Amino acid sequence: MDSVWFPKCPFRALTGLKCPGCGSQRAIHYLLNLDIQSAFKENALLVISIPYIITGFVFDCLRHHTPRLLKWRKALFGVKAIWIIFVLVVGFWILRN
Amino acid sequence: MQKYYYTNGVTTFGPFTLEELIKEHISRDTKVWFQELSEWQPAGNVPELSVLFKDTPPPYTYTANPPASTTEPVTAEPFNGAPPKSWLTESILVTLFCCLPFGIVGIVHAAKVESRFYARDYDGAFKASEEAKKWTTLGFWLGLVVGIIYLVVVIFAAVVNRH
Repeated sequence: MDSVWFPKCPFRALTGLKCPGCGSQRAIHYLLNLDIQSAFKENALLVISIPYIITGFVFDCLRHHTPRLLKWRKALFGVKAIWIIFVLVVGFWILRN
Repeated sequence: MQKYYYTNGVTTFGPFTLEELIKEHISRDTKVWFQELSEWQPAGNVPELSVLFKDTPPPYTYTANPPASTTEPVTAEPFNGAPPKSWLTESILVTLFCCLPFGIVGIVHAAKVESRFYARDYDGAFKASEEAKKWTTLGFWLGLVVGIIYLVVVIFAAVVNRH
């Protein structure tokens, strides 16, 4: 599974600890093989963030803003949501080590 | 009970009670209508609705980034009512794939874009958007360059080992 062709995480090389992105390339590899369980084991954060990121790009592409759309946008990508993501990333970082 | 309606030029929303209308956070320029009005009027011009704007500063015209002319010049807010690009999704991708510290800085700036925009600090939101863009793209390119250097080193090592 380990390939010399992909760069290793510098944080892991220096500290021996995993960063929030560690395992994302392997997770993508498993996802492309439709093996969601193994992908989840490699990097759970990546797997759960994919639908969110796709939704984010869709919202970025929508140009006509109705009040309803803006309300959803604010709920999903507003300042509260961003802080939740921030805590999730840092929490994931601490808990996986 | 008086029922109020407002429109964005395409869709009409309502009926709302005054309490509900307050929660819709419409702007002074949003066209509203209720039984007593003969035609749609900007909410800011209707004395009955002055309670909606008691905490709202007077309109501020944003000049750096004029919105493309549309058929519905209803909302005075810049960026068509939505905050400027916060680079949130890109920041998350950078965090997960190439450059964690810059990705996290990008996420923090994305939060600033949102909070400033909804505090009606449009200039500040625009600046935070620029910052978010800077850190996110920096992280992306740095990740790419480090990746390419790594690849070159690996190829070089493989070639040396063969000889």
